[in-house]
Amino acid sequence: MDEDDVLTTLKILIIGESGVGKSSLLLRFTDDTFDPEQAATIGVDFKVKTLSVDGNKAKLAIWDTAGQERFRTLTPSYYRGAQGVILVYDVSSQVTFDRLGQWLNELDTYSTKADIIKMLVGNKIDKEKREVSREQGLKFARKHSCLFIECSAKTRDGVQCAFEELVEKIIQTPGLWENDTRQRGFGVGSNQGQPNEGACSGYCSLI
Amino acid sequence: MADKGDQAKVATPMDTDAAKDPNQVGGSGEAEPTRDMTELIKDGKNAKSIVCERCNSKILLPGVAEFVTKEIFLPHMKKKSEQQKATDGENLSEHWVVSDMMTFENVGFTNTVGTAKYLICADCEVGPVGWHDVTDKTKYFIALDRVQHK
Repeated sequence: MDEDDVLTTLKILIIGESGVGKSSLLLRFTDDTFDPEQAATIGVDFKVKTLSVDGNKAKLAIWDTAGQERFRTLTPSYYRGAQGVILVYDVSSQVTFDRLGQWLNELDTYSTKADIIKMLVGNKIDKEKREVSREQGLKFARKHSCLFIECSAKTRDGVQCAFEELVEKIIQTPGLWENDTRQRGFGVGSNQGQPNEGACSGYCSLI
Repeated sequence: MADKGDQAKVATPMDTDAAKDPNQVGGSGEAEPTRDMTELIKDGKNAKSIVCERCNSKILLPGVAEFVTKEIFLPHMKKKSEQQKATDGENLSEHWVVSDMMTFENVGFTNTVGTAKYLICADCEVGPVGWHDVTDKTKYFIALDRVQHK
């Protein structure tokens, strides 16, 4: 079954200041309205999500700091083994943007993979009051070699895109994930003899 | 955060080791499944996709989970009364079980309560739809009553 062909499993982190909307980025990419009352009393630790990017199915284990950012320093184990990180700020809050440097420092300190893919996400573009311009975000992203996207988790604008772009970039960086692939997860070799044409756009050379 | 009393209330009904749990019976036995399982099981595994009953998010693909009966206490998913406390719930005995968390298509894990993590829908966060004991990394349960089969 084509659906079963998982190319890789990836660990993705979401970091950034409290209140920038990290957790809501993790919600679904559809038109379903999210019930804010749902706020889990126990709190969400992490999620497993399946994403298809250009015909490649990737399973993501996505870790949200879940409030630990208040303690400033996350445990090193949180960073260990991550292939991708989503660094979030709130475009309506300058202070969340100003703290990005500290988050990057922490990431550099604890990340176990030198070529971890970083994506900068300016969230809450649906808000009228904007304190951080798109250009500022872009400039910061260029300086620190991050992918960059602005989005609104509330309207879902750009959120799907953020995850897809990040996964695409990770897949294009084979050293990041090839050795980590579990034999069970690596579906390419056991493709039941049926080449999947759809899966070939752009990534064939890697496989 | 739940106080000690609440934690005990949540944690005690759950056995930490499913393999030693006298309640656990494989498929049939004294705890007879209350529903017709013939449509739901094929070759010992789930015949259908398992999806969130609220938002249809795909939790498990067909053919990846085994059916087990085991008494597991889960807090209610829906609020049934104004007096209902967060720790109120019910014992559920019919579950799908997988041995690796990456078997899931989409699922969320709550923070740990005692030694338990509750499984929720990854997309709409409704739950608990299942249960995992952190002392046994080889068992992840999804309650049949809390999901849809498609």
